[in-house]
Amino acid sequence: MGAIMLDDSVMTTRLDSVVNWARKNSLWPLPFGTACCAIEFMSMMASRYDFSRFGAEALRFSPRQSDLLLVLGTITNKQAPVLRQIYAQMAEPKWVVAVGVCASSGGMYRTYSTLQGIDRVVPVDVYVPGCPPRPETMIHGVMELQKKITRESLSMRKDHIERFYQSLARQEELQKARGLSGYQVVREMVLEAGNQGGQQIW
Amino acid sequence: MTPSCSPFLPVLLLFLLAVGVGAAILVVSGKILPGLLKPENPQRAKLTPYECGVPPLQEGARHRYSVKFYLVAMLFILFDVEAAFLLPWAVQYKTHLWTFWAMLSFLATLLVGYVYAWGKGALDWER
Amino acid sequence: MVIERIDAQLPGAILDRHAFRGDATIVVAPGRLTELVDFIFLEGFQLLADITAVDWEAREPRFDVVYHLLNLVSQDRLRIKVPVADGEAVPSLTGRYKSADWAEREVFDLFGIRFDGHPDLRRLLMWEDFPGHPLRKDYPLDGGDPFCTQDIGASYSPEARSLNA
Repeated sequence: MGAIMLDDSVMTTRLDSVVNWARKNSLWPLPFGTACCAIEFMSMMASRYDFSRFGAEALRFSPRQSDLLLVLGTITNKQAPVLRQIYAQMAEPKWVVAVGVCASSGGMYRTYSTLQGIDRVVPVDVYVPGCPPRPETMIHGVMELQKKITRESLSMRKDHIERFYQSLARQEELQKARGLSGYQVVREMVLEAGNQGGQQIW
Repeated sequence: MTPSCSPFLPVLLLFLLAVGVGAAILVVSGKILPGLLKPENPQRAKLTPYECGVPPLQEGARHRYSVKFYLVAMLFILFDVEAAFLLPWAVQYKTHLWTFWAMLSFLATLLVGYVYAWGKGALDWER
Repeated sequence: MVIERIDAQLPGAILDRHAFRGDATIVVAPGRLTELVDFIFLEGFQLLADITAVDWEAREPRFDVVYHLLNLVSQDRLRIKVPVADGEAVPSLTGRYKSADWAEREVFDLFGIRFDGHPDLRRLLMWEDFPGHPLRKDYPLDGGDPFCTQDIGASYSPEARSLNA
């Protein structure tokens, strides 16, 4: 439970395949680089590994102008609501790749300050393991995302995005109701989800 | 009866064709294709101002700014219109006493306004 | 040596001293800290490199606030340890050293030690309404996250705590 459930009975039409081809070959990343994985990302963008041959030449550091959120590095609990806000401000279609073990699961940091995986606060499409992952691994991760995009359909409902916006609304309600900062509300939502056995707050 | 078709008729037709094709491209790529392909999910969060993920620290960019900019613009318009009146007069001026004094009285009226603005400190940029 | 001069100038200020492989440490009571710092500032110790603290959980007074200073003239280093009890406040050095500002905020954030006279004492690393002080020994390493405790039943192995037992 907690995996993004893909509707297996969806048939992709020819229009879908054209649209998916266009989308997967023009993924404009938003490099949400916080730590060492960002350095490996820089290496991936450079000429030897050349990420731009996947259509990702245009790095957009704004959520409005990008469609792929690459979370590169450790996300602290203080950074969690910031990440949620960035993801909320992106326009569909949007995908998230958790690059590195810190983004995937908290990595080697099992502490009070580190978010134990960004999938607790935002929906994630692909996890790329490594500390840091080699550029080839990250490219492999994006290629897996491309395969995933090929299987999408225009008529498919993206439940995980809907649930995310509902959790954002819950977060805002809690903030207003209890007068706490966004950081404390998200932390409490994460701990409460942990208490109930799940981990995700979306 | 000689029906005279204007020699510019082909130009009109070409113009209409260009406008028509342009409008068709715009409508198809701007309205029809997005209408079919766009993943529509309007959310209030998407309209929030982008400030690197944190709530905006200051209230908007529509800040109060000094009125001196407005004053300078207004004075510019007035004296620019005065100059615009002066130029055509100067072009077809022939030495005629009445013409000279008419324009001079016009300039004198505006000079009174200028001295008033200067005296009131409207030209003082620093304050 | 500066310690002798401190002894001459401010008798009784230094409660204890030790040295290890060239670095000198003095232990000072919080009440004498300000005059000591004023004196050694004039001696040339004008760079405050760091302020940190140690939580001796079982000892009374509980904390040791540690200051690291560098003498810009003689390149000597000095460590000052100030034992404070839980709840006791230490005089702030922000008047003398600009770097004390954020360093003291960090110590307040992570240990809960207040500094008298600090212009803006609030949390630095954790968020403003974070409950607790994370670097105290009685604060769990994972912050009480049930996800982290679920596999071994405790936030970290009990053996790892007793480094200073």
